[in-house]
Amino acid sequence: MNMKIFKFLFFVVLTVSITTLTGCRSKRPSADLYGSDNMYGGSIIDDDIQLNPDNMGLPMDGDRSLFAPVMFAYDSSQVNREEAAKVEAVAKYLNKGKAQGVIVEGHGDERGSREYNLALGERRALAVRDYLISLGVEASSVQTKSLGEEMPENMGHDEGAWRMNRRGVFAIY
Amino acid sequence: MRRWFLIGCIALASASALAQRAVVTKSGEGKIKINLAGYRTGNDTASRTFLSVLKADLNRSGYFKVTSAKGDLNVVGSCVSGGGNMKAECQLYQVNSRKRLLGKSYTTTTTDARGLAHRVADEIVYAATGKKGMASGKIAIVSSRTGRKELYVCDMDGKNIRQITKDRSIVVGPGWMPDGKNIVYTSYKRGYPNVYMTGRSKPLSSHGGLNASGAVSPDGKSMAVILSRDGNPELYTKSLRTGRLKRMTNTRHGNEASPCWSPDGNHIAYVSDTSGKPQIYIISKSGGRAQRLTSTGSENVAPDWGTNGYIVYSSRVGGRYRIAMANPATKTLRVLETDWADYEDPSWAPDGRHIVCSRTANYRSSIYLLDTLKDSPVALLAGSVDWYSPACSP
Repeated sequence: MNMKIFKFLFFVVLTVSITTLTGCRSKRPSADLYGSDNMYGGSIIDDDIQLNPDNMGLPMDGDRSLFAPVMFAYDSSQVNREEAAKVEAVAKYLNKGKAQGVIVEGHGDERGSREYNLALGERRALAVRDYLISLGVEASSVQTKSLGEEMPENMGHDEGAWRMNRRGVFAIY
Repeated sequence: MRRWFLIGCIALASASALAQRAVVTKSGEGKIKINLAGYRTGNDTASRTFLSVLKADLNRSGYFKVTSAKGDLNVVGSCVSGGGNMKAECQLYQVNSRKRLLGKSYTTTTTDARGLAHRVADEIVYAATGKKGMASGKIAIVSSRTGRKELYVCDMDGKNIRQITKDRSIVVGPGWMPDGKNIVYTSYKRGYPNVYMTGRSKPLSSHGGLNASGAVSPDGKSMAVILSRDGNPELYTKSLRTGRLKRMTNTRHGNEASPCWSPDGNHIAYVSDTSGKPQIYIISKSGGRAQRLTSTGSENVAPDWGTNGYIVYSSRVGGRYRIAMANPATKTLRVLETDWADYEDPSWAPDGRHIVCSRTANYRSSIYLLDTLKDSPVALLAGSVDWYSPACSP
């Protein structure tokens, strides 16, 4: 058990130091990483940064009214250039210590299989988390929660509804 | 002439289950005509329910045509009830040879009239064809009929629906434990997507991030599951005894989803989009390099590996989801004939002949039974609410 905690802390320290070392580069969204739109289904997750070992006891909910959701392209989990500013606003807020943390909720539209969309929603949430971490937010204060296609914002069945439903929502706690 | 051939086959079948293949696949048009006109029931509801459910089950099995004219097989006996109990006696005869293929008597409670009919139907299927029936199976399904996405179970005929969860949360992707007694599913009842099993309050998997698509191996010892704990959704196996995790995939630029086990428990089929689109891959349970199974269609998702060796899945062809089946050993592929609607989330019925899946038309999804041999699709659950993600018990 102690070993586990030690490993986890080690990871957090490692993450923070990497973030600090690469800080200058990551203050601005990189067009290569977050702005390009050249990979179908491709997503940009920089590194596999571990999540909390267990989700029991983590905050389950937060305030979703503070920040606008990040929108995604079809079958993509890439944070686009136009959307990057939304993530930066959240990073700034958290870096000022105004909240304990955030749950990034990843959603998809109704097309495709439910289980696949669950994984896709998680990748969207992880891409946002990864960007937040690159902006200096501590890894342990960013939780991800994929809701797949289970909780659409818009119940419609057209392109307009689907566009609204492919989103990453910030629940601040 | 054909009748003689058929009866000959039936006789062979009763002698040897192996000889049976021919009856069904080769005789195509010819169903075994089965006559229940001589079966006597009391005038009570339970007995009459028993007989009507039995007839419907025999017709749905795909092997029989229930007739009141002279048939190939006769079912005789009687069913009576009283004092909350019922007794059914059943004998199955070959008409021409007068050979008795089955003779049994059953007792149960009157509330179990449907369940009894399902058991007797499967015994008749087995006695006449040497094959496993499906009537006693169960289907796990998700429905939003209460306004929340809860888990339900119904019989293979779509009747006897029971609500299993009352979590007022979201249930995703149910599947059965190999003993057919409990159901493994993903739920948000404690905030995050965790994998649970019915009859157990502690989750089977609750790592940070995503825990989804739990599928328990045929020996019941291990669960294939999609986790994002290491920073990206990947396929893992988790020992149900020790909780030890083994990471199976390493796809920074891809998603994994929907694992299912081969009947011998040595392989796992799953969905991955590392090629750019979701396709089905097969990996050994000990890990290593995955083999890609599907290449046709723009998307191939939601596999279910049957005991007959075929992987059934949903394939997006020409903008529609259709049901396809592929045999990884023989590399054969077949797309089932269906209408213009979307057919998704297929699951093998316990008979290895039928497939239960969802059919979505006009944004409403219902549950359908497809026959891989010749019968037309049958609606099992339809109406003004959505039913989806069906999973048949083993």
